[in-house]
Amino acid sequence: MKQLLFASALLSTLLFAACGDKENPDGDMAEMALNFTASYGGSPLVMFERTYGYEADMDFKMQLFQFYISDVRLLRQNNGVTEEVPALDVDLINFAGVYTDADAAKGISTETATIPAGAYTGLRFGFGVSPQLNATIPPDYPLGHPLAENYWEDAKSYIFFKVEGNADLEPDGDFSDKLTFHVGGDNNYRELTFQQNFSVEKNGRLEIPLAIDLRKILIAADGEYVDFRQVKQSHSNTSPAAVFMAENVPQAVELR
Amino acid sequence: MAWKALSPALLIMAAVAACTPEGAEPEQPENSYQLAEPAHFQRLVLPEGNPLTEAGIELGRRLFYDPILSADSSLSCSGCHLQKLAFTDGRAIAVGLGQRQGRRNSLSLANTAYYFKGLFWDGRVMSLEEQALLPVEDPNELGHDWAAVERALRRHPSYPTLFGEAFGITDTAELTRELAARALAQFERSLISAGARYDQVLRAEAQFTPSEKRGRDIFFDASEELPMGECSHCHTPPLFTDLSYLNNGLDQAAEPEGFPDPGRGAATGQRYDNGRFRAPSLRNVALTAPYMHDGRFKTLEEVIEHYNQGGHYAENVDPKIRQLHLSRQDKADLIAFLQTLTDSSFVNNPKHANPFLQ
Repeated sequence: MKQLLFASALLSTLLFAACGDKENPDGDMAEMALNFTASYGGSPLVMFERTYGYEADMDFKMQLFQFYISDVRLLRQNNGVTEEVPALDVDLINFAGVYTDADAAKGISTETATIPAGAYTGLRFGFGVSPQLNATIPPDYPLGHPLAENYWEDAKSYIFFKVEGNADLEPDGDFSDKLTFHVGGDNNYRELTFQQNFSVEKNGRLEIPLAIDLRKILIAADGEYVDFRQVKQSHSNTSPAAVFMAENVPQAVELR
Repeated sequence: MAWKALSPALLIMAAVAACTPEGAEPEQPENSYQLAEPAHFQRLVLPEGNPLTEAGIELGRRLFYDPILSADSSLSCSGCHLQKLAFTDGRAIAVGLGQRQGRRNSLSLANTAYYFKGLFWDGRVMSLEEQALLPVEDPNELGHDWAAVERALRRHPSYPTLFGEAFGITDTAELTRELAARALAQFERSLISAGARYDQVLRAEAQFTPSEKRGRDIFFDASEELPMGECSHCHTPPLFTDLSYLNNGLDQAAEPEGFPDPGRGAATGQRYDNGRFRAPSLRNVALTAPYMHDGRFKTLEEVIEHYNQGGHYAENVDPKIRQLHLSRQDKADLIAFLQTLTDSSFVNNPKHANPFLQ
């Protein structure tokens, strides 16, 4: 009998897994996406075309800035209790193709999620790959899925974000010092929460604008900064530069 | 039905059936072919418009090895893609009909089923079906034209039947270049290489030698005791390519317009893509010399020395290309590791071989 119950439960689970999310338990549905614009200080973040002034007379140019977000949830109130409404599992936000100020102003949007129409009071998501998803590996996913790439086999982690570019350390106009900061690991995952009212009507679309300032990832609020003269790369979960940059993430992301 | 008869497969089928809209059941072609996807690879996404069939793959194999696709019936796809060399040709630059030299080095066809970010060195086409159409009419490759190929295939004693078996056509007029390209793409998708010693080690069926293990750790930047090879950023397992396009510092260029071959830039029109090429897979790399898009490096030693020196300056050289400070032993160990990516079961697989010689 126990075995029969197990088979029934398994079948029910499979049926639920196969059909879930297609029915809206709350009725009317709407679309939602996050749109990220990236800057460095007050300047649009573009690849190659801009030189960014840094601390201690250093300059740099960018080639790549990308990051994962995961566990995107909208917050709403229900009888005084804050509920989380799941919106999006994971996405990769990649600015590698942003070469102009106009492209930077457009930003990069996540894939579109389906959410119940209605009023919300906030947004919560993880910067990086949540520990649950970070325990998975690329073979768990089909080609083209955000988590089918950017995996560190030895660290057993996805690379949560990458900052790559070229620095002029003298400064003498020679951008020959290579910068490659790759940060991952559960210890560097950051959950971010923003309180703001949103509402979206049935069949409507909610695009939530967020801004990320790379300068605030590289330079902490107290003025401490990643000294490119001392460290030009980080490819581990625990290197001081990686941990420092991850710690700075919360101050770098804003809901606009 | 007794519950004991409910196998996991049946349960999954039941689940899928429960959600399939009426009348929208996916059509399974006759003789459909189930590709043996390696468990440690990402899951394949096959195009809906060209399902794999035994007959389609077999037709593609025949076309691949048949010089009927070339203008003077002297050259087939296999002229530049030899199975024993992991479907490369051993030349710096491919040589086509009449010994005409092509533009670039012949790329391996192993695991191209997984290449969803573009094909060729510059990613100018996105699908194997599109790709398969191009070499026939390239004057530096097969130098033919598809209208003539279609005529030859339609009047051939066996191809109309083979196309019928593969695609269900009943009239030779329905035998088109698009179907030929679909068959070639099916054959290419069947070229899965995942049986190297590296894969055996992953499956705990073999062990690396100390030199291979040391090379592996340099390759993956896996040890603080060893120099970082910086290889796996772009040559990421399991495909040993991340399918990206990058400038790996081969040529000095003061401006992005200054590269002898614009590479990816010609496909996208983006100046910072000039000088960028696809990071090729390193699977079977010991068999695929010479190396780079122009075949400039004859040996793996030369390749590693290039990276060890940090490449030449150009504004868009990837920042991961930097001096590595590898010792002679480090380089030897890296090569030992790279040799574990040779898949002899792939290069000797009779299903991939020339059917006209079997």
